[in-house]
Amino acid sequence: MSTEFSRRGVLRAGLATSGAALLSAMPASRLLAQEPEKPSEIIVRAWGGEWVESLKNGVSDRFTEMTGIAVRHDLTEDNEIQPKVWAAVAQGRVPPIHINWDTTTNATKSALRGVTEDISDLDNLANTTDLAKPVGLEGYPLVNTYGYVYVLAYRPEAFPDGAPKSWRDLLDPKFKGRIALYNDGIGFHFPAQVAGGGSLEDIPDNMDACWDFVREMKEQNPLLGEDPDFTTWFQNGEIDAACTISTNALAAKKNGVDLAWTVPEEGCKFDTDCLWIPKGLPDNELYWAKQYINLALSQESQQIWLDGLGLPGVVPGLTPPEGLAGDPSYPTTPADFEHLIRISSAVQVQNESDWFARFKEIMQG
Amino acid sequence: MHVRTGGFPVLIMAVACLPAGTGPGQTLSTRHRNAAMPEIPSKDDTHTTFRYPLRWRIMDALNGGLDRFWPARMSPYTGWALIMPALLLVGVLVLGLFEMADNSLHTLDRATFRLSEAYTLENYQTVMESATYGRVITRSVFAAGLTVFFTLLLALPYAYIMVRTTSSAVRKALLVTLFLPFFIGQVVRAYGLLIILGTTGVANNALGLVGIEPMRLLFNFPAVVFGLVQYMLPFAVLMLAPALTAIPRETETAASSLGANWVQGFRHVVLPMAKPGLIGAGLVVGTLALTDFAMPAMLGGGSQDFIANAIYDQFFRTADQGLGAALALLLVVLGSVIVGIVISIFGAGTLGMGNRK
Amino acid sequence: MTARSQRILFWALVWFSVLILSVPTIIVVGASFTNANMISFPPEGFTLKWYEKIALARDLRQAFIRSLIVSTVCLVVSVPVGTLAGLALSRFKLRFVNAIQIYLLLPFTVPLIGSGIGMMLIFGEWRILGSLWPVGVALAVINLPFIIWSVSSSASALDGDLELAASSCGAGRFETFWFVTLPGVMPGVITGGLLMFVLAMSEFLVSLLLTDARTVTLPVQIYNNIRSIITPDLAAVSSVFVVIALLAVWVLDRLVGLEIFLKSK
Repeated sequence: MSTEFSRRGVLRAGLATSGAALLSAMPASRLLAQEPEKPSEIIVRAWGGEWVESLKNGVSDRFTEMTGIAVRHDLTEDNEIQPKVWAAVAQGRVPPIHINWDTTTNATKSALRGVTEDISDLDNLANTTDLAKPVGLEGYPLVNTYGYVYVLAYRPEAFPDGAPKSWRDLLDPKFKGRIALYNDGIGFHFPAQVAGGGSLEDIPDNMDACWDFVREMKEQNPLLGEDPDFTTWFQNGEIDAACTISTNALAAKKNGVDLAWTVPEEGCKFDTDCLWIPKGLPDNELYWAKQYINLALSQESQQIWLDGLGLPGVVPGLTPPEGLAGDPSYPTTPADFEHLIRISSAVQVQNESDWFARFKEIMQG
Repeated sequence: MHVRTGGFPVLIMAVACLPAGTGPGQTLSTRHRNAAMPEIPSKDDTHTTFRYPLRWRIMDALNGGLDRFWPARMSPYTGWALIMPALLLVGVLVLGLFEMADNSLHTLDRATFRLSEAYTLENYQTVMESATYGRVITRSVFAAGLTVFFTLLLALPYAYIMVRTTSSAVRKALLVTLFLPFFIGQVVRAYGLLIILGTTGVANNALGLVGIEPMRLLFNFPAVVFGLVQYMLPFAVLMLAPALTAIPRETETAASSLGANWVQGFRHVVLPMAKPGLIGAGLVVGTLALTDFAMPAMLGGGSQDFIANAIYDQFFRTADQGLGAALALLLVVLGSVIVGIVISIFGAGTLGMGNRK
Repeated sequence: MTARSQRILFWALVWFSVLILSVPTIIVVGASFTNANMISFPPEGFTLKWYEKIALARDLRQAFIRSLIVSTVCLVVSVPVGTLAGLALSRFKLRFVNAIQIYLLLPFTVPLIGSGIGMMLIFGEWRILGSLWPVGVALAVINLPFIIWSVSSSASALDGDLELAASSCGAGRFETFWFVTLPGVMPGVITGGLLMFVLAMSEFLVSLLLTDARTVTLPVQIYNNIRSIITPDLAAVSSVFVVIALLAVWVLDRLVGLEIFLKSK
C-alpha cells in the first residue's frame, strides 16, 4: 500500500514539473508552429503483468496526460512481434506498433536489419548515462532504458546454510530436477563459462568451459522455460533455484512466494532492455513516438517506471526502490558491477544461433 | 425417431411423384411435375391470377440457372467443381509454402539479419547433419504414434458406449463431457494439467493419501503424450461415432448368437466395420500431434521439444527464417508421406473416399 | 452389450476418459474463485472479484466480440466450402483422389507456425492485414479438414438411391441437392460447423501472427497474458466460456437434439 501511495505521490509531483520540462526541452516555436498532427493513439509493445503496469504508470499515463494521445499496449512477446514488424517493413506496410520495448539483443538484430528509426535527436538523451548508448551500432537506432541482472533466485528453505556462494552449488544431487534455466540458455552462458573454469576473454572464440558446465548441469535435469514458467514453478514448489531476471523474482516475491536472490562468485550476466521505433510510420506518428521515448528517458518517468520493475535506470539521480539499495540486482556503483558480466550485443547477436544450437544439443539429449 | 428439419420435403416429393406413375431411372423435366398436380393451372395460362408458390419458382429458376451454367454434359466434372473451392482455399496455404520454400534456400546473413541472395541447400544440410534435429524429429514421430494408439484405445470404448447406450441421459452426459474442453483453449487446458500433475498438485495429493511419496509427473515425455491424448480424445470420439452408428446392432447380436464371445465379436465384427472411422481418426490425431507446439512447450519442461518447437525457435528466437522454413517444409513432407502411406494401404477412411458409384 | 467383462472394461476406460477430460475444466473453474493473486487449486478462500474484474475489462469484451466476428467469418467460409468438398469426395469419383486427400490434409501437416507465417506474408502482400475477416478466412483454412471429414462421413452413409429416386420423380438437380442430399448430410454439417466455430474461438498461434493490437482476439489476448503471469482472471474468462458452452449445448439440444452428432444418416 505504501509503495502505491508513494508512486502516486511521485506521479503527481512529477507531472507538475515534467510537463514544463517536456515543453522547455523544445523551443516554443517548434512546438507551436510545427507540432505535427496528433494521432488518436500510439501502440507500444510491452511485456504483460508487472512489466506493463509499471510502464503504464511511469510513461504511458504521463504521456497521455501531457499530449492527449492515448497509449495502447500490445502484449505480444518481443520475439513474436519481430517477424511481424520485419515483414511489415519489407512489404512497405505500416508496422503494427509505434514503439517496441525490447531486449537490447533482439533490438540489435532489428537495427542491423535496418528496420529501426534513428532517434539520436531526442533531447533527453543529453541527460543519460553511458548505459543508454547501444554498443557497436551507429548513432541511436535504439536506446537502452535500464539494466538488469540474471540473478540466481532461490527458495531460502532449500538453502538452510544461506545463499549459494557459487553456481557450482547447484550441482548438489539434492537439486536434481529442481533447477530452472531459460530454455535458450540466455543469462546462463557467461557465468557457466567462469564456473566451468574458462575465462570471459575467450568469449566467443573458446566456450568449451561453458559447454562443459552446461553438460554438468544437464545431469541435474534442469527445467527449461520462460519468465512466467519460473514464477509458476516457484509457486508450485517445482524448483528450488533458477537463473532468471531479478524482476521476475521480485514479482513472485510480491505475490507471496518465499524467494531470495544472489550474485554468486562467478558473477551474473548483466544486460539491458531498450526502446525503438520501427520504420514505415507516417511522419506525424513517428514524431509522437519519439516524444514518447523522450519522455521515457526523463528522470521522473524513469523513477516511477523502474520503481515498478526494481531495476537501475539510465539517468543519474534515481532513488533506489524500497529495499533494493545495495541489492546485487540493483547495481549502481562500479563496485556493484565487479561481479556482473556484460558482453556487447554485437557479440551476442553474432553468436546467438550457435550458442542456441549448442545449448539445445546438450539439453534435448 | 428424431425428425430432422428439411426431411419432410423428401416425403412430399416422393408422394407427389406417385400419381405421375413414372418409372425409376426416367428423368423428367420440371414441367412433368406440374402435370402431376392437375388442379394447379399451367404456367402459360395468363388469364388466371394464380401464381406458383414462390418456392417453386425459385427452385425452377435455380434449376434453370444450374442447367445453363453447368449443363448436364458437364456432369463428369461436377465432382471437381464441388471440390474446387476447397482446393483454392487450401491454396492460400500452398502460396505460403512456396514463399517458405524460397526462404529455405537462403542462409541468414548475421551482419544484416537478412537472408543472403545466393541460393543454397545449406539449411537442409544443417538439419540433416544435426543430431539435435534428428532426435527431435524421431521424438515427434514416436509421440504422434503413441498418441494415436492411446487416443484410439480410449476413444473406441467411449464412442461405442455413447452410441450403444440405451439411456439418452448417459449419451448426452458423455457428449457434453466431450464438448466442454473444446471451449477452453489448449493453453489453458495444459495449465489445468500443470496444476493437477504438479509436485504439490491434486494427483500427488491423492497418491499421498495411499502413502506414495510425491513424485515428478510432469516435464517428461509421458506427460507430453498424456497432454496430447487429453487434447485429441474429443476429436477422435467425434470421428468414430458416425462409423460405429453405421454398424447395425443386429450384426453384433448375430455374431454372439453364433457363439462368438464379445472379444471375438468385437474383433471380427465391430473393428472391421469401424475401420474407416479408426483410420480417419488416426490420420487426424496423428497429423495434429505430429505438428503440435503447445503441449511439448508447456508440459515438456523444455527438454521434450517437437519439430514445431524447433521451428518456433528458428522463426522467433534466433530470427533464422531460412532454417525455420526448411524445418517446416521437411515436417510437411514427412507428414504428407506418412499420410500417403496410410491412405494407400488402408484407404482414407471417413475422411471421405467413397468411390461408391 | 451383454458380457459383464466387456461392460466393466469399457466403462473403466470411459470413466478414465471422463476424468481426464473434465478434471482440467473443473480445476480451472475452481481456480477462478481463488482469493490469491495467482491461480491455485484448491482455491484459497472464495471471491468473485476476478469476475468483477473481467466484467469491467473493456479490452476483454472487445476481444471477445472480435473473436465472435472472426469465428462467424470462419463459419461462413468453411461450411459451404467444406460441405461441397465433403460431398465431392464421398459422392463422386475423382481421379488422383489420394493426392487430393494429401493436399486437403495440408492444413494439418503444415505446423501452425508455418501456416501463420506463410499467410502473414501472403496477406501482407495482398494488403489485407489489419482487418478481421482475413483472420476468419485463415482459421477456415487451417481447420478445413474437420468439416470436410464430418460431411463426407455423413455423406458416405447416405443412401445414394434416395437421390436417384428424387431425380426420377422429376426433381431438378438443384432440388435433389437441396431437399435430399443436403438434409442427408446435415448432421455432418452441424458437427463440422460447430467444431469450426469452437476451434476458431480458441486458436491463438495463427491468429497471433495475423492480428495486431487493434484487432487482437480473445485467445491471443489470453495467450499473451499467460506469457507474463497467470492470474485467476484468465481462469474466470475460461469459466465464462464453459458456461456459454453449456448454454449453447442446451440450446442445441432443445433445437435439434444432441443425438444429431451421432447420426450417420
